[in-house]
Amino acid sequence: MPEAIEIQLKKGALELCVLALLSKHDSYAYEIASRLADAIGMGEGTIYPLMRRLQSDGLVETYLVESSAGPPRKYYRLSEAGKKNFTSQQAAWKSFSGAVDSILGGAQ
Amino acid sequence: MTRQAFMARLREGLRGLPPQSVADIVDDYEAHFTDGEAAGRTEAEVAAALGDPDRLAREIRAESTMTRWREERSPSSAAAAVFAVLGLGAIDILVLLPILMGIAGAIIGLAVAVIVCFFAGAVVFAAGPFTDPPGGPVTAILSGIGIMAGSASGGALLTIVSIGLMNALVWYGRLHYRLLKPALEPQA
Repeated sequence: MPEAIEIQLKKGALELCVLALLSKHDSYAYEIASRLADAIGMGEGTIYPLMRRLQSDGLVETYLVESSAGPPRKYYRLSEAGKKNFTSQQAAWKSFSGAVDSILGGAQ
Repeated sequence: MTRQAFMARLREGLRGLPPQSVADIVDDYEAHFTDGEAAGRTEAEVAAALGDPDRLAREIRAESTMTRWREERSPSSAAAAVFAVLGLGAIDILVLLPILMGIAGAIIGLAVAVIVCFFAGAVVFAAGPFTDPPGGPVTAILSGIGIMAGSASGGALLTIVSIGLMNALVWYGRLHYRLLKPALEPQA
């Protein structure tokens, strides 16, 4: 069932991708959502519950930035705990995906 | 769907949640529409990408009642979580409701039995020694204590089993999120 595998993979990678985007620069939900929707085909509405969960887990913090048009925009940044969490998830992902790659490569 | 229609249905669906969380959620999706339009998309495109607002609201509500159940193990939070799971349409209500009512009835019956046993033990403990029981007053006092301890542990077991059943139901309900699924399941 390739579809089931794809869903599982995306589910596992989503949080890591959000943390990775935020580790490069602070961002707002629409920007995160549109980048992830393009790149990994994630539903756009998914980002808000995810951000709320990351916030309640203490991995991200929010602040408001005045915008020229419309109401102030809510930006997200990684907290100290979020940075640590990202570093360890990133290392785990790299070692895991490296191992899977080498097995897949060897199976050709 | 227009932005206004989407937001109205979302707001309607979220009714009953704490006003502060409704305001936060509504602000997020309003901002999403504003940003989407600034990026040159139509309201209909943004709404379609977000998914069905009724479904979205149901899942957000279900998640919030289940969070409440995790934080506060009370009969009212359990009931709210049960109804939220039913509201997801995860399980056919006609199938699940009789089963749930059966289980709830059995649990209530057992709880009543446990309480009755406890008081019966108390009566044996307090009144037994004066009724000239077989084996003497000490036996009556000890068996009274025994009955009370037995029913207390029965009650504790019953509580653990009920909480376990609720958690299983919550777990089952969460499997049926369609829109929120990838966002809410914590990474192991």
